[in-house]
Amino acid sequence: MDVVERQGNTMTLSMGPQHPSTHGVLQVVVEISGEVVEKLEMEIGYLHTGIEKTCENLFWTQASTGIERMDYLNPLGNALCYMLAVERLLGIEERIPPRAQAIRVLLCELSRIASHCVWLGTGGIDLGAISTFFYTFDIREDILDLIEQSGGARMHPNYLRIGGVNGDVPAGFLARLDALIAKFPVRMRELRTLLQNNPILRDRMIDVGTVSAEHAVKWGLTGPALRASGIAYDVRRAFPYSGYETYEFDVPTRTEGDAYARFLVRLDEMDEAMRIVRQVRKRLDEPGPIMVDDPKIAQPPKETIALSMEALIHHFKIVSESFRVPPGDVYQAIESPRGELGFYLVSNGNNRPWRVRTRPPSLYNLQALKLIAPGQLIADAVVMIGSLDPVFGEVDR
Amino acid sequence: MPSSQTPSIAGVALDPTAVRPPLDDAEVVRVAPQQLRETLIALRDGGCTMLLDVGGVDYLDREPRFDVAYHLLALPQAAATVEAVGRPRRVRVLAGVPAEDARLPSVTDLWPSADWAEREVYDLFGIVFDGHPNLRRVQMPDDWVGHPLRKDYPLRGPAAEATPRPAFASKSNVPAGTPPSGKVAEALQRQIARARERGNA
Repeated sequence: MDVVERQGNTMTLSMGPQHPSTHGVLQVVVEISGEVVEKLEMEIGYLHTGIEKTCENLFWTQASTGIERMDYLNPLGNALCYMLAVERLLGIEERIPPRAQAIRVLLCELSRIASHCVWLGTGGIDLGAISTFFYTFDIREDILDLIEQSGGARMHPNYLRIGGVNGDVPAGFLARLDALIAKFPVRMRELRTLLQNNPILRDRMIDVGTVSAEHAVKWGLTGPALRASGIAYDVRRAFPYSGYETYEFDVPTRTEGDAYARFLVRLDEMDEAMRIVRQVRKRLDEPGPIMVDDPKIAQPPKETIALSMEALIHHFKIVSESFRVPPGDVYQAIESPRGELGFYLVSNGNNRPWRVRTRPPSLYNLQALKLIAPGQLIADAVVMIGSLDPVFGEVDR
Repeated sequence: MPSSQTPSIAGVALDPTAVRPPLDDAEVVRVAPQQLRETLIALRDGGCTMLLDVGGVDYLDREPRFDVAYHLLALPQAAATVEAVGRPRRVRVLAGVPAEDARLPSVTDLWPSADWAEREVYDLFGIVFDGHPNLRRVQMPDDWVGHPLRKDYPLRGPAAEATPRPAFASKSNVPAGTPPSGKVAEALQRQIARARERGNA
């Protein structure tokens, strides 16, 4: 931390952009009087890579590569939101096979657990609970193994496709998933024992960074940050997609609105996510198609290309010039681990998107730090940033 | 000049928002810039309490050239169960902005969440929001020339070299003439100026 300025009793400090507690490249400039934050401003944009601009110059099918890199803790969720929006413009959202939808839900819920694991692990380090990190990254490692097995890469598999998923889950996947399902409750019990009633954690988090329901709505908070303030808005319940209306799960809420409430909501959400995973697991025993039955959109199976003229032509057309999407604009939202992730897509009828606008939940959640930090201790500002769980790939895009 | 404009194909829509019957994703309201604030205030007082997002679109050859999309969501302002939230109303307000007078009234006084979103539209599209308390670039460096998400902004080529990439340290350097944005930002500028002097010495 650098001292920028001293004046009377106040001092202006610059925290970041390289600072471990900012969870990314965030610069926070705080005006403090003693240890109390008087004013706080943030500089973002250090990780801006122009993904939205890049997407406008790629085919509809290629754009998801960049989109997965926005929220790098939930790449499959980002891709899903974009796919759903494109499918809506194409008018094929009703024709996605149930097995493809189940695989999408499975991977998104696993990503939610993995993302909350990173939040919990790094948030624990902020508070001095370093061992938590190893417990949570153990779960995350198992999940990344599953993602690698299905999509071929740990972080950005580009496994979801417009119209379904790329290939069925491989042999051995379900056995590993079963092992994770069996292990998860034990790990969660350990984590809760370690943290939930830990007096140090409670002291550091209770009544820190309190957001009232009214303010949460005004500042555009979504996800766990909104639900910790008492409003049970979950996109999976309010605007179900990918068959979420057929799964049984609760929407955990608290009313306190402080960092501890957000912590408890996320812990409960991990359990609820696993509850959905267990329901999906039962459906995966049934085989079925995993891509929409439309040769203009779904690439033909590789083995048919040498045998069928049509398959060869469709393959060539999809790879070399993608497909055209009917003109129109659409807003599609999903529940990412951080809140409402939205894509506002505009197509002018071409084979590339005209505009890909992201509604990044982290951007709006992080912005609320300006509301909650003043008047509190500077040491608590670190807890607040952690409890809002920003991902800078998504804030800056 | 090479342009980021996708090679146009005959039959593409100049105004996609008008071509297709709107999908069942939100109610769409189209307003002129003059009516924007009263429309948004009426919607907010009518229950659309959350401003989810403000985003720009550049249609290049259309008149008016830009659209700014305000996504609203009707949420209760006190603790509410899943059933009470239900399926909240979604409204998308599209404000057309002409190229020659690219400005809109700011809504930061209605929703504090509009702060960074409006700065981003200003930064990437060059649309000025009148009444915004701190209208600086947010994603691009402050001394950047041009607005990258405009469709006539060059992707690569000679024009790109004419816009030198500033050094990392100058991310927040505000050039002379930019309206000041409070004590903290000024202090930050002084810090950066000092860092630069140290670097030059």
